[in-house]
Amino acid sequence: MEQTEIQEKIFAYMQQMKGKKKLKEKDIIKKIMEESGDDKDTVKKALRAMIDVGKVMYSYGGGSSSVEIPSEEYLKEKGLI
Amino acid sequence: MSLPERQTDIGPPHYEKFLPPVIKKNYGKWAHHEVLSGGTMVHVAESGDKLYTVRVASPRILSTDTIREICEMAEKYSDGYLRFTTRNNVEFLLSDQSKMAPLLAELKDKKYSVGGIGPRISNIVHTQGWVHCHSACTDASGIVKSVMDELHDYFTTKTLPNKVRLAVACCVNMCGAVHCSDIAVVAIHRKVPVIDHETVGKMCEIPTTVSSCPTSAIRPNPKTKSITINEEKCMYCGNCFTVCPPIEIHNPQQDGVAIVVGGKVGSLRTDPKFSKLAIPYIENEPPRWPKVVAAIKNILDVYAANAKKHERVGEWIERVGWEDFFKLTGIPFTFQHIDDFTFMRDTLRNSAAFKY
Amino acid sequence: MGGKYKTPMLDELEKGPWPSFVTEIKKAAKRTEMADDELGQVEKSYVTKRGYWKHGGIVGVLGYGGGVIGRYSSLPNEFPGIAHFHTVRLNQPSGFFYTAEALKMIMDIWDKYGSGLTNMHGSTGDLVLLGTTTENLEVLFAEYSSRGWDLGGSGSAMRTPSCCVGQARCEWACIDTMAICNEVTQYYQDQLHRPSFPYKFKIKVAGCACDCVAAIARADLSIIGTWKDNIRIDQAEVKKYADGGMNIQAEIVEMCPTACMSYDGKTLKVNDAQCSRCMHCIAKMTKALKQGKVKGASILVGSKAPIVVGSLLSWVVVPFMELEAPFDNLKDLADKMIEWWDDNAKPRERIGELIEVKGMRPFLEAIEMPPVPQQVKYPRKDPFFFWSESDFN
Ligand code: HEM
Ligand code: HEM
Ligand code: SF4
Ligand code: SF4
Ligand code: SF4
Ligand code: SF4
Repeated sequence: MEQTEIQEKIFAYMQQMKGKKKLKEKDIIKKIMEESGDDKDTVKKALRAMIDVGKVMYSYGGGSSSVEIPSEEYLKEKGLI
Repeated sequence: MSLPERQTDIGPPHYEKFLPPVIKKNYGKWAHHEVLSGGTMVHVAESGDKLYTVRVASPRILSTDTIREICEMAEKYSDGYLRFTTRNNVEFLLSDQSKMAPLLAELKDKKYSVGGIGPRISNIVHTQGWVHCHSACTDASGIVKSVMDELHDYFTTKTLPNKVRLAVACCVNMCGAVHCSDIAVVAIHRKVPVIDHETVGKMCEIPTTVSSCPTSAIRPNPKTKSITINEEKCMYCGNCFTVCPPIEIHNPQQDGVAIVVGGKVGSLRTDPKFSKLAIPYIENEPPRWPKVVAAIKNILDVYAANAKKHERVGEWIERVGWEDFFKLTGIPFTFQHIDDFTFMRDTLRNSAAFKY
Repeated sequence: MGGKYKTPMLDELEKGPWPSFVTEIKKAAKRTEMADDELGQVEKSYVTKRGYWKHGGIVGVLGYGGGVIGRYSSLPNEFPGIAHFHTVRLNQPSGFFYTAEALKMIMDIWDKYGSGLTNMHGSTGDLVLLGTTTENLEVLFAEYSSRGWDLGGSGSAMRTPSCCVGQARCEWACIDTMAICNEVTQYYQDQLHRPSFPYKFKIKVAGCACDCVAAIARADLSIIGTWKDNIRIDQAEVKKYADGGMNIQAEIVEMCPTACMSYDGKTLKVNDAQCSRCMHCIAKMTKALKQGKVKGASILVGSKAPIVVGSLLSWVVVPFMELEAPFDNLKDLADKMIEWWDDNAKPRERIGELIEVKGMRPFLEAIEMPPVPQQVKYPRKDPFFFWSESDFN
């Protein structure tokens, strides 16, 4: 699958899970690998590209790290919107 | 204002840039060393070159002002070369012996403590406490300062049977790894957490919170969309608070510290050991924790009077037996000393031979 | 600036000979409101015996998932200067070596954007910059990284590796701890900055069994230098120790844990086949005794602090391995460990805990290590054990 397509899938999945479960990087990669049939490195690359531009972000809470959709406040802070 | 170009994943600068020439030249070729005083030593290389080290105490929390002052002394006496130790001391690295006396004089003048080398007490490993951590049930820096004021002579001059490593953890997360120290202070809770049910439901994943409890004391409570805690099972570890902040574990009047003893990390003579419980509870008494200071001083004095040369605290206790440790120190033995959690089997005695 | 608060409690901690953290905070408080409000809040904690910090929040620099610990005061109205008081972890150079020039540069930048307070160092090893605001994070990162300094790790990631001073200044270093530390730090940059592990993973490197970085107690992967061949003895130097007043029989021979030494008043002998390489005799007679020449490291796995079901010390898994730059054998081994752990662990499960759950066998198979007696204190005591198909061939 194209990187942009994978990224859309990732974003859709994260929106769907928002507020339901804190997703770790691994959870996302596993899920999207199943959906798209791509290998781990390809999915990881797509996810990392999203993180690099602030489309999604790493988060930390309850003693462990996860990946989240950033708040508007965060995007403003980073000068992304 | 335009920012300089950020770089990612470059890692730390290569250490070689910061090594004094005498170290670069003799890297991996040191022959031996000699402790010259409580805070100075000389390393001699196979080539005959010498490196003089002057070790100085730091409170770990340092202002940029003090770091600049230290840097200036390094520039004056050690060609700008310095390092920090794993226990947060500062070390000046001199290749010119004639600069040592003036450095020591300036340090004395500026009231720095020189010491921590040899069979003495080095700096106390500790973490943030009230200064910077939400989880703290005591202040690490305050205890460290109070204890080291009392034991200062053991840092600078006086010797002990062997090194004594002290540590303070400001909660049972033990970020500073106090669990293998000769004598350590660890802050503890003694009361079951209080739950803010409304916020728990909103903020926390219930299954994660339930599974965070090591003693299975937490059950989901569908009625309140929150949880309940079985008070008989809770041993106040605070892990639920870590994963779910509205579970308030802090109780300022009941929180306090425990003292553990006899751990070590080196494999010299005997295997590395965990520290074991000596005193289950001492109340928090800011600003100077007099009871904690007195308790540590007592244990140290008894060790100094009774251990053989080169014995660490734990080695001495194992030789004489824990029965004797409690007798000699006068510390009362309580129910809390008997393990009823993960290590019970290993810790109960099953031999008919023991002392009174 | 400064002096907004009366601090009778903390003032008590400026007395006495040991350097005072209160004095340090006060120095910074002369220049920054942050440090001044920090002083005020800590004084309040001393009165009420409780902290006033919220759980960490979500802050960081773009692209990274670690290196910044979010910290907010729970009393932002009372202490506005520390409404944000985040920690920035700068990855320290191996062995904590600096030049005054480099350190002053770091401080100059910190004074521009932070509280003026530091921890030298955090207990993982990072140079800790204590207290800045969210809006300053990107600037700080740009300033530091453009000058060659990167952030350390935090969260469920590879944590900043650290090491003892090793061959830079210690005659007992059997391995080049600083090179190993630097090399694995560089190798794991991605895993260090982007938390993708089940939980934290720490690597510490000690040059010998003295273990001055406490690798055995606080690293998931503990690398400890050792040797294989015979201890080298200089009898002339032995004599000097005896002449200098050392009771060699009591202090050395009788304290040797394997009773493999003897001394007849002239010659000190070691039965090397029995020596367990504990370092006692060498540490006490550094001029007379030297380790052998076949040097390498023991690899141990699994230590952690007690949260939650009890502390662990690392267990020996590879008794001896030679370690020469670029340390590919070590990286390969670490990769295998991490992969097994990553595939099998629950969230917030350390590798030592996972080994307890799954058993040592699957772990050893994953890292392709055979069982050897050096891995145990003694063999199992009960007659209940697993057999797998491969055992029948
Ligand atoms: C007398 C012989 C010894 C010498 C010359 C020696 C050398 C050193 C050196 C160079 C450091 C600084 C390391 C660093 O910051 O990376 C250090 C620190 C340390 N060593 Fe040793 N070591 C000796 C024996 C031991 C022994 C026998 C133990 C414990 C069993 C031990 C435990 C420690 C600890 C805990 C530290 C941290 C202390 C500090 O930074 O103030 N050392 N030692
Ligand atoms: C569930 C367990 C733990 C939790 C929730 C926890 C939480 C924290 C928090 C919140 C801080 C930040 C303090 C600050 O604001 O500056 C911290 C610092 C730190 N933690 Fe932990 N911690 C845990 C366990 C550990 C363990 C087991 C270790 C090491 C073996 C560790 C090592 C550190 C270190 C090195 C720091 C840096 C602080 C310093 O050096 O002062 N933590 N931890
Ligand atoms: S030991 Fe506890 S209170 Fe201290 S820094 Fe670690 S988590 Fe915070
Ligand atoms: S404090 Fe620890 S033992 Fe008590 S309920 Fe919370 S997690 Fe369980
Ligand atoms: S661990 Fe060993 S090699 Fe490293 S500094 Fe300590 S004594 Fe030296
Ligand atoms: S290293 Fe330890 S076991 Fe080996 S001879 Fe020396 S004291 Fe004995």
